Amino acid sequence: MSKPKVAIFDFACCEGCQLQIVNMEEEILDLLELVEPVEWREAMSDKSENYDIAIVEGAITRPEDEERLKKIRERAKVLIALGACATHGGINKLKNNFPEGEPERYVYGDAAGMPHLASGRVKAVDEVVPVDVKVFGCPIDNREFAAIVKSLVMGQKPFIPNYSVCVECKMKGNVCRYEYGEICLGPVIRAGCDARCPSKGAACYGCRGFVDDPNVNAAFDVMEKYGKTVEDLRSKLELFGSGQEYSDGKNG
Amino acid sequence: MIKIVGKDALETWVDEVIARMRTYGVQAKGDHFSFESLRRAADLRLDYDVTILPPKKYLQPPRETLLRFSGAVEYESVFDEDPFVIFGIHPYDLEAILQMDAIFEKDQRDEHYLRRRSKAVLVACDVETVSENVFAGCMGTAYLESGFDILITKIDGGDYVVDIQTDAGRSIADSLKSAKDANKKALAARREVWNKNKARLRRHKLEVPLEELPALLEAGYEHPIWEERAQRCYSCGSCNLVCPTCYCFDVRDDVGWDLKHGVRARVWDGCLLAGFAEVAGGHNFRRNRADRYRHRYYRKGKYLPEMIGKTACVGCGRCITACTAKIANPVEVYNALLEEKDDH
Repeated sequence: MSKPKVAIFDFACCEGCQLQIVNMEEEILDLLELVEPVEWREAMSDKSENYDIAIVEGAITRPEDEERLKKIRERAKVLIALGACATHGGINKLKNNFPEGEPERYVYGDAAGMPHLASGRVKAVDEVVPVDVKVFGCPIDNREFAAIVKSLVMGQKPFIPNYSVCVECKMKGNVCRYEYGEICLGPVIRAGCDARCPSKGAACYGCRGFVDDPNVNAAFDVMEKYGKTVEDLRSKLELFGSGQEYSDGKNG
Repeated sequence: MIKIVGKDALETWVDEVIARMRTYGVQAKGDHFSFESLRRAADLRLDYDVTILPPKKYLQPPRETLLRFSGAVEYESVFDEDPFVIFGIHPYDLEAILQMDAIFEKDQRDEHYLRRRSKAVLVACDVETVSENVFAGCMGTAYLESGFDILITKIDGGDYVVDIQTDAGRSIADSLKSAKDANKKALAARREVWNKNKARLRRHKLEVPLEELPALLEAGYEHPIWEERAQRCYSCGSCNLVCPTCYCFDVRDDVGWDLKHGVRARVWDGCLLAGFAEVAGGHNFRRNRADRYRHRYYRKGKYLPEMIGKTACVGCGRCITACTAKIANPVEVYNALLEEKDDH
């Protein structure tokens, strides 16, 4: 088949995940051997409505964004959600923990009513349209992104871990953050980051989202053993975990 | 030959080995200990309690290239046959390696493991410091009288008995030839270390005689403990990944940008992980957490003993430390099965 045409679109986000693609530097040329970008605001000026793969970055926060996203979905054969904002709503979703309008009033004061500031509940991309592939992380790991693109071009199912950060953390020979009395979300968070944060001495914040069947209830039990409270854990789960569902630990 | 040397002579010898070949040894890593590349004998810490990961990581690396491919059918196998030495393997970790040897030799010989292993010189050392969760004393692995290439034992008085048993051991111990032979007194002192270790490496006390473990498990398949404990299991696989006798792996391809050349690697896997027994079509032989949890204890206490004749838990205690949910203590699990049996 000819090179798939790729378009990259951004919604509510910092565009840091697109930047990770730009950060592939010399490997970008290799990437361009496989796919043909036709729209990518951060890296080129062209625009197009004709593409095979749409890469969507950012969370969806306004009705007009939903409309735009639906059009993108209609045009694309494959839709990739890129990064935590797109896959889970990301830290944008913290907003959903407050009454509607309150975050805007808190941040912008009297100017909160200005029309360009109007936004609603935050949604992940798959709350609006079906998503074919999710590239997790805040920001994404560009090596993982490269592997996913290669898989798609070869017509294979990309390998995306459904095991926890602990797996990669243990493989690296790290000492568990719990041994230092820290709450680390590693046991319930999807790996693929190579345990980047714990390897540098920081507990996992959960930017890649939960594994498919996280036993969060076990985590609530574990808190007691480490002299922490359920509230301590909840506050950790909030940053990237707001609005995410988890199992009750009884099944599966 | 069995020699006796002081600390200085021991370090001189280790430095000589380091100058000659790839050498790993136990070193301090923050407030823990770890097997790392050894640059000088002074960094070697034979007084360690337990290492974060077992020395398995040099024999079955976390990620290991098996072959390089250059098309759909063209490939070239990759073997690591560069000789190396590991200093400071505790007896329980040595026993784990001996079990891996038996497993990888059985049936379909695993050339990747065996060729690397054939180039490894294993220098064991007896335990000086008792770790937080070790129970090797209950598992028959507090000390080993053979199986190593060289065994170093610090005896009362501070000297080291160095027992060189194999050709591989002799090949790196030339300079120890002129050292004093260990006399009866030194050997008696070593025996005392062994006896002491057998008694004190018991932070957890296994009530089940090892030979009865398979039958106990056989009877305990429906025991409520599996479900109870699995309720608190993350399926994070930490118990697997720090285990010196876990050897399961997944195989993955990493293809280059030309979509033609690449490498096939094997990566550590773990039977507690949700995807471990998942096959094509999304079918999963152990979909339930409790099934996976139970499987691990059956592997260690029943399936592997039936296969290689040895209990596949060596009592290092790493899983107990690594499990944040505190459900992974094999001694607690096996003792609980026994209690239930006694109740009836």
